[in-house]
Amino acid sequence: MPAAEATKQSQGGASSVVYQGATKRYGHSSAPAVDHLDLEVEAGEICVLVGPSGCGKTTSMRMVNRMVELTEGDILIGGESVKKRDAARLRREIGYVIQQVGLFPHRTITQNIATVPQLLGWDKERVRARTAELLALVGLDPELGDRFPVQLSGGQQQRVGVARALAVDPPVMLMDEPFGAIDPINRERLQNEFLRLQAEIRKTVLFVTHDIDEAIKMGDRIAIMKQHGRVEQYATPSEILITPANEFVEDFVGSDRALKRLSLMRVGDISLWRAPNARPGQSTAEVRAELERPDVEVPYALLVDERERPQGWLTKRDLSGDTVPATADAPLGPVLETSDVMRDALADLLQGESMYAPVVDHNGRIAGILSIEIISEFLNSPVAATEEQSAVERPLAPDRASEIAADE
Amino acid sequence: MNSGLLGMPLAAVGEVGEGFFKHRTGATLPCQARPAHLFCWDWATEHINRFGTPALQQFELVVISVLIGFAIAFILALIAHRFKPLQFPLLAGTGVLFAIPSIAFFMLLLPITGRGRETAIIALSAYTLQIIYRNVMQGLNNVPDSAKDAARGMGLTERQILWKVELPLAIPEIVGGIRIATVSTVAIATLAVFANAGGLGSQIYSSSNLVFPTAIIIAGAIAILMAFAIDLVLLTAQRFATPWRRAASEAVP
Ligand SMILES: Nc1ncnc2c1ncn2[C@@H]1O[C@H](COP(=O)(O)OP(=O)(O)OP(=O)(O)O)[C@@H](O)[C@H]1O
Ligand SMILES: [Mg+2]
Repeated sequence: MPAAEATKQSQGGASSVVYQGATKRYGHSSAPAVDHLDLEVEAGEICVLVGPSGCGKTTSMRMVNRMVELTEGDILIGGESVKKRDAARLRREIGYVIQQVGLFPHRTITQNIATVPQLLGWDKERVRARTAELLALVGLDPELGDRFPVQLSGGQQQRVGVARALAVDPPVMLMDEPFGAIDPINRERLQNEFLRLQAEIRKTVLFVTHDIDEAIKMGDRIAIMKQHGRVEQYATPSEILITPANEFVEDFVGSDRALKRLSLMRVGDISLWRAPNARPGQSTAEVRAELERPDVEVPYALLVDERERPQGWLTKRDLSGDTVPATADAPLGPVLETSDVMRDALADLLQGESMYAPVVDHNGRIAGILSIEIISEFLNSPVAATEEQSAVERPLAPDRASEIAADE
Repeated sequence: MNSGLLGMPLAAVGEVGEGFFKHRTGATLPCQARPAHLFCWDWATEHINRFGTPALQQFELVVISVLIGFAIAFILALIAHRFKPLQFPLLAGTGVLFAIPSIAFFMLLLPITGRGRETAIIALSAYTLQIIYRNVMQGLNNVPDSAKDAARGMGLTERQILWKVELPLAIPEIVGGIRIATVSTVAIATLAVFANAGGLGSQIYSSSNLVFPTAIIIAGAIAILMAFAIDLVLLTAQRFATPWRRAASEAVP
C-alpha cells in the first residue's frame, strides 16, 4: 500500500540542512540580504527562523529550495549540495508552504494536494489514497476534497497548504509564516495540530515567523536573526528564555520572558493540587472531614459524576444537608486538560476569574487542580528551567481518535 | 461610418426582388414600392430564402477570422509573456491594425491579395488581434503571484506553470476577448462584401436599398441573432471550463 510505503520512508527520511557561509546579494546591491549564514538544522527537528521584518528570513529559507539562488556559500541537504541538483527536481523533494498559502484557485482541494504526486507520475489509485490520507492527517473533512479553495475558510486553506507540501512525504519542509494570516484562535489550533503531526512524521522543518511566541512554541531550536541574516543566538527555546545571548535577543524576546516560559510547559508536567471529590448521594460528613485534612490544598470539594468527570464546586450550603446533592451550587469555571499549554491555562484561569481550575485527562477524568499559586511558585523556582523540554519531546496531546472516543 | 459608404459603386451587388417593377400596376402597388414603408412583410416572407447563403458566408467569415486571429494573438501573447519587453511593442503593433478602418484595410489589401474571401479574412483577423491579444495578456497578468510562486516552489517547470496554472486561470479573460472579437467581427464582416467576399453585407449595401429598408432590417436582424448565438455558445463553454468561478460566486464568505 502506498501510504504505508510513504510512512516507512518518512521515519528514516528526514535530512539535515546545513548552511555553509550561505550568502545572497540581490542584483548589484552592495549590502547582502543574507551574509555568510552558518546554521545546522538536525534531521527531524523544527528550526524556527525568527527576527524583525527584512532581516532575511524568507531569503534564507528560499535558498534551500533554490527559489533564491545562492550568491556565495552552499547549503547541504542530507550532506548533498543543493547547487548540484536540478532546481525543479529539488523543489519536488522539499515541502514548501508559502506565506500567502498560494492554493491554485482553479483546482479542487484534492487536485491541489495531488500536484506534486502527479508531477512525479504517481498512478491514479496511489494519488487518490495519498490525498485522502493527507486530508485526514491535517484534520480536514474528506468531503472538502471536491471543493475549490474559495469555498474554504482561511484556516482550512492553510491546512490544505500544509497537506500539499507534505504530499510526497518530503524529508525537508519549508514553512514561511504558515499560520500567519489567520485569527489567533485558529492559529493556536493549527500550531497544536502541526506539533502533534510533527511528532508522528518527524520532518526536518524550517519554520519562519516574526512572532517570538510562535517561535517558542513551535521550535526545537530557534535562530534569532538580525539584519543581513546574522544569527544572534541559535538555541533551544528555554535556553533563549533563560540565558539570552545578548541585548538584541533579550529585547526581541521581550520583558515577559518568565511568562513565556509557561509556553514550554504543559499542565500535566507540573504537580497539581488535590481537592476532595464528592459524588452525588455521598454523605456530606465524609466530604467535610476530608476538607479538614492537612494534605488537601483546595478548600472546596469538587462534585464528580460516576466516571469521575468534574461537575461543579460544592459550596458550604451544598454540604449543609446529609447527602451530597446531584448538582453543585457553584459553576465549574474553566476546565483544563493535562495536555494544555501552561500559558493558555493561566490565561483561562485569569479570564475565568477563578483561583482554581480542575484539570482532566484525555478521558475527561479529574487529574488534579491547577491554581494561580502553583503557577507563581513555578515561575519563581530556579529548577523550573531544567524541567523544560523541547517541542517534540514534550508529552503530546492524545491523538484525535482517543479524543473522539472520550467525547462519546 | 456606414452611411457614407452606401453609395459606393462596389456596393451594387445586392438587388431588389424581381417583382419590384413587374407588379407595379394600379391599386395593387406592393408595399416595397412605397418609399415611406419601413418594413414589408410580404416581401420578407417571399424572399427570406435569399438570405441563407449570405448568412452562411458571414458565419464562415466570422468563425475563420476569429480562429485565425485567436491563433496569432495567442502566440503573440505567449511570446510577450515569455519576453516581457515585447509586451508593449506588440500591443502597439496590434493596436495599429485595430485602428485602421476596415474599409481602408480592404482597399489596401486589394492590390496585394485581390478581391475575394482571403482579403476579407486577412482584414477581419487583423482586426481581432488587438482585442484577443490584450485580453490574453490581461488574463495572464491577473494570475495571482502567490499561485505562481507556489507552483514554482513545488517544482513545476516554467512550461508547466504556463499550461497548468496561468492559462487555466486566464480562461475567463481569454474567452472574454474572443467574445468581444466575435461580436464585433459579426458586425464588421458585413463590409466584406466590398472585397467581394459575400456575407450579409450583400443584402445591405445595395443602392436601391436606400429607398427600401426591409432587406437591411432583415440582414441586420440576422447579424444580431448570429452575434447573440455565438456569444451564448462561448459563454456556456467558458462556464463549463471554469467551474471554480461558479464555486466562487456560491461560496459562503
Ligand atoms: N527579490 C528581491 N530583490 C531585491 N531585494 C530583495 C528581494 N527579496 C528580498 N529583498 C531584500 O532582502 C532583504 C531580506 O528580505 P527577506 O524577504 O528575506 O526578509 P524577511 O526577513 O523575510 O522579512 P519579512 O519578515 O518582512 O518577510 C530585505 O532588505 C529585502 O528588501
Ligand atoms: Mg519574509
